[in-house]
Amino acid sequence: MDPDGLAKAFVEHYYSTFDTNRGGLGSLYQDASMLTFEGQKIQGSQNIVTKLTTLPFQQCQHSISTVDCQPSGPAGGMLVFVSGNLQLAGEQHSLKFSQMFHLMPTPQGSFYVLNDIFRLNYA
Amino acid sequence: MDPDQLAKAFVEHYYTTFDANRAGLANLYQEGSMLTFEGQKIQGSQNIVAKLTSLPFQQCQHSISTVDCQPSGPAGGMLVFVSGNLQLAGEQHALKFSQMFHLMPTPQGSFYVLNDIFRLNYA
Repeated sequence: MDPDGLAKAFVEHYYSTFDTNRGGLGSLYQDASMLTFEGQKIQGSQNIVTKLTTLPFQQCQHSISTVDCQPSGPAGGMLVFVSGNLQLAGEQHSLKFSQMFHLMPTPQGSFYVLNDIFRLNYA
Repeated sequence: MDPDQLAKAFVEHYYTTFDANRAGLANLYQEGSMLTFEGQKIQGSQNIVAKLTSLPFQQCQHSISTVDCQPSGPAGGMLVFVSGNLQLAGEQHALKFSQMFHLMPTPQGSFYVLNDIFRLNYA
Protein backbone atom coordinates (compact mmCIF):
# COMPACT_ATOMS: atom_id res chain seq x y z
CA MET A 1 0.00 0.00 0.00
CA ASP A 2 1.36 3.43 -0.84
CA PRO A 3 2.21 5.74 2.08
CA ASP A 4 -0.73 8.10 1.56
CA GLY A 5 -3.12 5.15 1.38
CA LEU A 6 -1.60 3.70 4.53
CA ALA A 7 -1.86 7.01 6.38
CA LYS A 8 -5.51 7.43 5.45
CA ALA A 9 -6.29 3.85 6.45
CA PHE A 10 -4.60 4.34 9.81
CA VAL A 11 -6.40 7.62 10.46
CA GLU A 12 -9.76 6.08 9.65
CA HIS A 13 -9.09 3.11 11.88
CA TYR A 14 -7.75 5.21 14.75
CA TYR A 15 -10.61 7.67 14.96
CA SER A 16 -13.43 5.18 14.39
CA THR A 17 -11.95 3.03 17.17
CA PHE A 18 -11.62 6.12 19.37
CA ASP A 19 -15.24 7.09 18.73
CA THR A 20 -16.77 3.64 19.26
CA ASN A 21 -14.45 1.71 21.59
CA ARG A 22 -11.67 3.76 23.16
CA GLY A 23 -10.37 0.73 25.09
CA GLY A 24 -9.66 -0.89 21.74
CA LEU A 25 -6.86 1.60 21.07
CA GLY A 26 -4.58 -0.41 23.37
CA SER A 27 -3.30 -2.64 20.58
CA LEU A 28 -2.05 0.39 18.61
CA TYR A 29 0.46 1.34 21.33
CA GLN A 30 3.38 -0.46 22.97
CA ASP A 31 5.40 -0.05 26.16
CA ALA A 32 7.65 2.61 24.67
CA SER A 33 4.82 4.61 23.11
CA MET A 34 4.49 8.24 24.16
CA LEU A 35 1.41 10.43 24.18
CA THR A 36 1.40 14.15 24.90
CA PHE A 37 -2.23 15.15 25.39
CA GLU A 38 -2.77 18.89 25.77
CA GLY A 39 0.70 19.17 27.24
CA GLN A 40 0.42 16.19 29.60
CA LYS A 41 3.05 13.48 28.94
CA ILE A 42 2.06 9.83 29.24
CA GLN A 43 4.11 6.72 28.42
CA GLY A 44 3.19 3.12 27.70
CA SER A 45 0.11 1.51 26.20
CA GLN A 46 -1.66 0.90 29.51
CA ASN A 47 -1.20 4.45 30.79
CA ILE A 48 -2.18 5.89 27.42
CA VAL A 49 -5.39 3.90 27.23
CA THR A 50 -6.17 4.82 30.85
CA LYS A 51 -5.79 8.48 29.94
CA LEU A 52 -7.94 8.24 26.83
CA THR A 53 -10.71 6.19 28.47
CA THR A 54 -10.94 8.62 31.40
CA LEU A 55 -11.32 11.80 29.36
CA PRO A 56 -14.30 13.78 30.67
CA PHE A 57 -16.84 12.79 28.03
CA GLN A 58 -18.79 9.67 27.19
CA GLN A 59 -19.35 10.05 23.51
CA CYS A 60 -17.49 11.89 20.81
CA GLN A 61 -17.13 12.04 17.07
CA HIS A 62 -14.01 13.04 15.16
CA SER A 63 -14.32 14.42 11.64
CA ILE A 64 -11.06 14.75 9.76
CA SER A 65 -10.25 17.76 7.57
CA THR A 66 -6.64 17.13 6.50
CA VAL A 67 -4.17 14.22 6.56
CA ASP A 68 -0.50 14.73 5.62
CA CYS A 69 2.19 12.06 5.80
CA GLN A 70 5.93 11.69 5.24
CA PRO A 71 8.40 8.83 5.75
CA SER A 72 10.39 9.51 8.93
CA GLY A 73 13.76 7.94 8.17
CA PRO A 74 15.67 4.69 7.61
CA ALA A 75 13.77 2.73 10.27
CA GLY A 76 10.70 2.65 8.02
CA GLY A 77 8.56 4.89 10.19
CA MET A 78 5.86 7.24 8.99
CA LEU A 79 4.70 10.61 10.26
CA VAL A 80 1.00 11.40 10.00
CA PHE A 81 -0.30 14.93 10.64
CA VAL A 82 -4.04 15.34 11.10
CA SER A 83 -6.39 18.25 11.62
CA GLY A 84 -10.12 18.10 12.19
CA ASN A 85 -13.09 18.63 14.44
CA LEU A 86 -14.14 16.85 17.62
CA GLN A 87 -17.83 16.91 18.52
CA LEU A 88 -18.65 16.01 22.11
CA ALA A 89 -22.13 14.71 22.84
CA GLY A 90 -24.28 17.47 24.30
CA GLU A 91 -21.99 20.33 23.30
CA GLN A 92 -23.29 22.92 20.86
CA HIS A 93 -20.00 23.67 19.12
CA SER A 94 -17.32 21.24 18.03
CA LEU A 95 -13.70 21.61 19.06
CA LYS A 96 -10.90 21.94 16.53
CA PHE A 97 -7.79 19.82 16.96
CA SER A 98 -4.45 18.91 15.43
CA GLN A 99 -2.67 15.65 16.09
CA MET A 100 0.52 13.98 14.91
CA PHE A 101 1.37 10.28 14.95
CA HIS A 102 4.72 8.58 14.36
CA LEU A 103 3.98 5.05 13.16
CA MET A 104 6.67 2.36 13.34
CA PRO A 105 6.55 -1.01 11.58
CA THR A 106 6.06 -4.21 13.59
CA PRO A 107 7.73 -7.53 12.70
CA GLN A 108 4.29 -8.84 11.73
CA GLY A 109 4.02 -6.27 8.94
CA SER A 110 1.68 -3.92 10.76
CA PHE A 111 2.30 -0.53 12.44
CA TYR A 112 2.11 0.76 15.98
CA VAL A 113 2.06 4.31 17.33
CA LEU A 114 5.42 5.25 18.85
CA ASN A 115 4.69 8.98 19.18
CA ASP A 116 1.33 10.72 19.55
CA ILE A 117 0.84 14.44 20.21
CA PHE A 118 -2.64 15.99 20.49
CA ARG A 119 -3.58 19.66 20.75
CA LEU A 120 -6.88 21.48 20.62
CA ASN A 121 -6.86 24.52 18.35
CA TYR A 122 -8.61 27.31 20.21
CA ALA A 123 -10.18 30.15 18.26
CA MET B 1 20.50 20.38 26.91
CA ASP B 2 17.29 18.62 27.83
CA PRO B 3 14.85 17.81 25.01
CA ASP B 4 12.22 20.40 25.95
CA GLN B 5 14.82 23.16 26.03
CA LEU B 6 16.26 22.00 22.74
CA ALA B 7 12.84 22.04 21.15
CA LYS B 8 12.14 25.55 22.42
CA ALA B 9 15.54 26.76 21.23
CA PHE B 10 14.95 25.28 17.80
CA VAL B 11 11.46 26.79 17.55
CA GLU B 12 12.73 30.24 18.52
CA HIS B 13 15.57 30.03 16.02
CA TYR B 14 13.37 28.70 13.22
CA TYR B 15 10.65 31.33 13.42
CA THR B 16 13.00 34.23 14.08
CA THR B 17 14.95 33.27 10.97
CA PHE B 18 11.71 32.79 9.01
CA ASP B 19 10.47 36.23 10.01
CA ALA B 20 13.75 38.09 9.48
CA ASN B 21 15.59 36.23 6.72
CA ARG B 22 13.68 33.37 5.11
CA ALA B 23 16.59 32.35 2.87
CA GLY B 24 18.63 31.75 6.00
CA LEU B 25 16.52 28.67 6.67
CA ALA B 26 18.51 26.75 4.03
CA ASN B 27 21.10 25.40 6.43
CA LEU B 28 18.36 23.83 8.56
CA TYR B 29 17.44 21.45 5.73
CA GLN B 30 19.38 18.87 3.72
CA GLU B 31 18.85 16.98 0.44
CA GLY B 32 16.70 14.33 2.08
CA SER B 33 14.50 16.88 3.85
CA MET B 34 10.78 16.94 3.09
CA LEU B 35 8.30 19.79 3.48
CA THR B 36 4.55 19.47 3.05
CA PHE B 37 3.15 23.00 2.92
CA GLU B 38 -0.65 23.19 2.89
CA GLY B 39 -0.70 19.82 1.14
CA GLN B 40 2.04 20.59 -1.39
CA LYS B 41 5.03 18.20 -1.16
CA ILE B 42 8.54 19.57 -1.64
CA GLN B 43 11.88 17.82 -1.21
CA GLY B 44 15.43 19.04 -0.70
CA SER B 45 16.85 22.16 0.89
CA GLN B 46 16.99 24.21 -2.33
CA ASN B 47 13.41 23.48 -3.34
CA ILE B 48 12.16 24.04 0.21
CA VAL B 49 13.83 27.44 0.48
CA ALA B 50 12.57 28.37 -3.00
CA LYS B 51 9.05 27.58 -1.82
CA LEU B 52 9.34 29.50 1.44
CA THR B 53 10.97 32.57 -0.07
CA SER B 54 8.33 32.76 -2.81
CA LEU B 55 5.29 32.68 -0.51
CA PRO B 56 2.91 35.52 -1.41
CA PHE B 57 3.83 37.94 1.36
CA GLN B 58 6.80 40.15 2.10
CA GLN B 59 6.69 40.38 5.83
CA CYS B 60 5.29 38.12 8.50
CA GLN B 61 5.49 37.47 12.22
CA HIS B 62 4.97 34.14 13.93
CA SER B 63 3.86 34.03 17.56
CA ILE B 64 4.02 30.63 19.18
CA SER B 65 1.28 29.36 21.51
CA THR B 66 2.35 25.76 22.22
CA VAL B 67 5.46 23.61 21.74
CA ASP B 68 5.41 19.85 22.42
CA CYS B 69 8.28 17.46 21.79
CA GLN B 70 9.07 13.76 22.01
CA PRO B 71 12.10 11.64 21.09
CA SER B 72 11.37 9.83 17.81
CA GLY B 73 13.30 6.59 18.16
CA PRO B 74 16.78 5.00 18.31
CA ALA B 75 18.31 7.29 15.66
CA GLY B 76 18.28 10.18 18.16
CA GLY B 77 15.66 12.22 16.35
CA MET B 78 13.15 14.56 17.95
CA LEU B 79 9.60 15.45 17.04
CA VAL B 80 8.46 19.03 17.67
CA PHE B 81 4.78 20.00 17.39
CA VAL B 82 4.00 23.71 17.31
CA SER B 83 0.83 25.79 17.20
CA GLY B 84 0.58 29.53 16.93
CA ASN B 85 -0.42 32.60 14.99
CA LEU B 86 0.97 34.04 11.78
CA GLN B 87 0.46 37.77 11.21
CA LEU B 88 0.98 38.94 7.66
CA ALA B 89 1.87 42.60 7.12
CA GLY B 90 -1.19 44.56 6.08
CA GLU B 91 -3.71 41.89 7.10
CA GLN B 92 -6.21 42.71 9.84
CA HIS B 93 -6.46 39.22 11.37
CA ALA B 94 -3.72 36.74 12.15
CA LEU B 95 -3.83 33.25 10.68
CA LYS B 96 -3.67 30.24 12.98
CA PHE B 97 -1.30 27.40 12.13
CA SER B 98 0.05 24.07 13.31
CA GLN B 99 3.42 22.69 12.27
CA MET B 100 5.45 19.61 13.03
CA PHE B 101 9.21 19.16 12.65
CA HIS B 102 11.27 15.97 12.82
CA LEU B 103 14.80 16.96 13.79
CA MET B 104 17.71 14.58 13.19
CA PRO B 105 21.20 14.93 14.70
CA THR B 106 24.15 15.90 12.51
CA PRO B 107 27.69 14.51 13.01
CA GLN B 108 28.73 17.99 14.16
CA GLY B 109 26.39 17.79 17.15
CA SER B 110 23.67 19.99 15.70
CA PHE B 111 20.23 19.17 14.25
CA TYR B 112 18.63 19.49 10.83
CA VAL B 113 15.00 19.27 9.76
CA LEU B 114 14.27 15.95 8.06
CA ASN B 115 10.47 16.31 8.06
CA ASP B 116 8.39 19.49 8.10
CA ILE B 117 4.60 19.64 7.78
CA PHE B 118 2.70 22.95 7.88
CA ARG B 119 -1.06 23.52 8.00
CA LEU B 120 -3.17 26.60 8.54
CA ASN B 121 -6.01 26.09 11.02
CA TYR B 122 -9.08 27.68 9.52
CA ALA B 123 -11.89 28.83 11.82
